[in-house]
Amino acid sequence: MTVSVHLTRRPLSVAAAMRVLSGPGLGGVVVFAGRVRPDRTPAGRVTKLEYEGDLALARSVLADLERTAQRRFGAVRIVLWHRFGTIKVGEVSVLVGAACGHRSAAFDAARYLIEELKRSVPIWKTERARPARRPRRPPYRRRGRASG
Amino acid sequence: MAPRVTILLFATARLAAGASELRWPVEPGGLPLGSLVRSLGSRYPKLAPILPTCRFVLNGRYVVSRATRVRPGDKFAVHPPYGGG
Repeated sequence: MTVSVHLTRRPLSVAAAMRVLSGPGLGGVVVFAGRVRPDRTPAGRVTKLEYEGDLALARSVLADLERTAQRRFGAVRIVLWHRFGTIKVGEVSVLVGAACGHRSAAFDAARYLIEELKRSVPIWKTERARPARRPRRPPYRRRGRASG
Repeated sequence: MAPRVTILLFATARLAAGASELRWPVEPGGLPLGSLVRSLGSRYPKLAPILPTCRFVLNGRYVVSRATRVRPGDKFAVHPPYGGG
C-alpha cells in the first residue's frame, strides 16, 4: 500500500504504514492506531463496531487534511487510513501517521490529523453489544432433614 | 414521473427515517434547503430532533445557507455528527 489516504474494509497494518512513512531525512515518525474497545454499554458489552461513511466526501476531506498538515507542520509523508464495515474488539479501526524531520513536528501533525479526522470526516460508528447474562439465582437448596 | 431529489441518510438519521435513501418529489424549480429540511422533519417525526445537529451536503459539497436551492436531480445528504476513529 502506498497511498496516504485510504478507506478500506480490510485490516490495517502498522508495518505497512511505517513503510509509507519512511524516507531519507525523516527522523521523526509518529503513528497512532485506534482500536475497538470492549466498552460496557446499557445494551451490554461491545463486541464489534459497524462503521459507515459518505465515502467519496470522506476521501476528499482526508485529502484536504493531508495537504493542510503538510503545509502547517512540514509533514513530508502522511498516512490517513480508516476501515469501514464490521470491526471486532481489539482490531485497528484507524491508523494516522506523520513523518517529519524531527519528533516535535511529527507529534503535532499526528495529533492534528487524528483530532480533525474525528471532527470533520463523514464517518460514523454503531456499537454492537452482547447483552449481559442475567444473574443466576442461587441454587435451590432442599431443606435438610432435621437431625437427631 | 414527478421531478425528484435523491436524499441520502446516514447513521442516526438513517435509523430515524428507516431508510438510507429517499426519492423526494419537488417542484420543477426546486425548493430552498430550509424548506426541504422542514418537510423531512414533518414526514419523519423521529428525524426532526436530529436535524438541527446535522450537516448538509448538496452534490458532494457542504452547504450552510438554508436559502440554497435544491433542484430536481440533485443529491442531498444528511450528516449527523461524525464519529470516526
